[in-house]
Amino acid sequence: MAYLLNQLLTHSAERYPDNLAIWAVGKSLTYSDLDRKSNQLAHLLRSRGVKKGDRIGLYSPKSVDVVAGMFGILKAGGVYVPMDVQQPAQRAAYLIDNCEMKAVLGSGAAIQGLQSFPLRSLEFGLVLDDVAVTGGSLELQPWSAIANFPGEAVPYFQQTTTDLAYILYTSGSTGRPKGVMISHQNALTFVNWCAGTFHVQPEDRLSNHAPLHFDLSVFDVYNAIEAGASVHMVPPQAAPFPASLANFIDSQAITIWYSVPSALILLILHASTQLQALKRLRTVLFAGEIFPMKYLRRLAELLPNVEMYNLYGPTETNVCTYYRVRRELLESQERLPIGKACENTEAFAVTDSDEIAGIGGQGELYVRGPGVTCGYWGDPEKTQKTVVPNRFEPNFREYVYRTGDLVTLMDEEGNYDFLGRRDSMIKSRGYRIELGEIEAAMLSHPGVQEAIALPLPDEEVGARIKAIISPHSKDSVTTAALLQHCSMRIPKYMLPELIEFRESLPKTSTGKIDRVRLASESVAAMGNRPKDFQNGGPGEARLTELKN
Amino acid sequence: MNETKQQIRDFVLNLAEQKGITTVADGDNLTQNGVVDSLAIFRVIMFLEDTFGIRVPDEEILTENFESVEGIERFVDAKLAAKASRR
Repeated sequence: MAYLLNQLLTHSAERYPDNLAIWAVGKSLTYSDLDRKSNQLAHLLRSRGVKKGDRIGLYSPKSVDVVAGMFGILKAGGVYVPMDVQQPAQRAAYLIDNCEMKAVLGSGAAIQGLQSFPLRSLEFGLVLDDVAVTGGSLELQPWSAIANFPGEAVPYFQQTTTDLAYILYTSGSTGRPKGVMISHQNALTFVNWCAGTFHVQPEDRLSNHAPLHFDLSVFDVYNAIEAGASVHMVPPQAAPFPASLANFIDSQAITIWYSVPSALILLILHASTQLQALKRLRTVLFAGEIFPMKYLRRLAELLPNVEMYNLYGPTETNVCTYYRVRRELLESQERLPIGKACENTEAFAVTDSDEIAGIGGQGELYVRGPGVTCGYWGDPEKTQKTVVPNRFEPNFREYVYRTGDLVTLMDEEGNYDFLGRRDSMIKSRGYRIELGEIEAAMLSHPGVQEAIALPLPDEEVGARIKAIISPHSKDSVTTAALLQHCSMRIPKYMLPELIEFRESLPKTSTGKIDRVRLASESVAAMGNRPKDFQNGGPGEARLTELKN
Repeated sequence: MNETKQQIRDFVLNLAEQKGITTVADGDNLTQNGVVDSLAIFRVIMFLEDTFGIRVPDEEILTENFESVEGIERFVDAKLAAKASRR
């Protein structure tokens, strides 16, 4: 039994050396290829002084080599930190500083973007493609340098299942991303549960739609490898185009698909004929946001023989509850439950009066078990707020994770219904977004006096973001200048789609910006859509036209 | 430069500006630089349909037709040529 994630690969490479392990456009690796390359990288990293627990960044568009990089880092005892290549370089530089990465594996273009930052912790970099990097003082080696190292496993060193495997950064409410620390045990708890629940077989072909810095990808990569199956990376260039996406599922003969609902909605609305024709697809998993029932019903019609599951869980728990879609109930269900706790995980709702909720009771969802993170990198203060001692367990010491999600316990089976958030975190296209991070970015513009970011509910993507600002003076900032300023600080998916200018923002009696009033005004103004929206407008109109 | 390309370029630049991107070359990959995502693609399609009087059916919402300003121009030119030959 594997107690380290990288052992999943070692075991499968022994059993299925010639099976396809990973496919991407233009390049694929068998199990023996992936095992050998990752061993070579582990040797290289060890020779450069990488020790157990050292953080190594992955900063590249998806590729088979990035996955070899993940395994190589783990085999060297390191902790990998996948970073979004679409985020501003300044934000990536913050992550590198924040967890003091020792090295970075990245594309030439991504590493080039880092060259103007001091990044004192970085000792070296490996460039995964042929793009030349100029200037800067970071010592760089080409990826091909791994060929100089042996393909056998690195010698044994002491490690346990509670050592860290990777860190995933998510949006932080104070304007700084926070690094969720995931141990081998945390990830394996989820992977083992998935293996038993979805019965992944060596002949299965799994999609990888989510980016590698997004926790949905953990299932795609590690459950494929656990089973001796293959994982097929959706070309990032194909993702926005429904016909291309459907062609990918068909041509790669995908049997298990996992993505955020918005990717599936894109297919339902614009590639339904192709969806219907898919013969090999057997299981569809989705997570990250609420799946609107009208689209789910349509998906169930288009894929009559496919099992569908709603997986729920913040990055801090991987996935903690799940719900198998029951076709016979779809017509009468108003919304899809988030379901019951996965095996080896317990979930309970804590009411306002600090009791565990019974059937019909509401409360904040708490999660306990070996899948739960030990906290945020270098931030004991934030950790203490959400990873708390379990006061409902009198006999031994353990921690539980407070999700911040409000739920109702629905039935004896332990199914939960999701009601909303306790704080200002929102979801858009599955991305977790702290409105505070957007507000901090806007406020850092010298021409902005006050700023607030508000979510507007949206069926296709979860939420769209509107901002209301008051400038210091009439001409101190323009929409274009503010967007450009923000785009240097926060990822594109966090940029407000609409920015409204006001002379000043309304305040509550305590002098705070009246978020509730502005939110209700903005939602009420949504009747004016789509012309209100810079980004959604015509596309929305087209969608509406096609739906009717 | 022909007018089709200029109109496409202006529209794409406007889209880019909303994402804080100030320069887009004609050959730049629009998904790689983040200008076109699963929401923006439908704005592009509506713009093409309204501006050039063409119809973009679902099966043509493909990477190769929208990968760059040049790619979109080629796609529109082909659609316009097909339309003209039907007259």
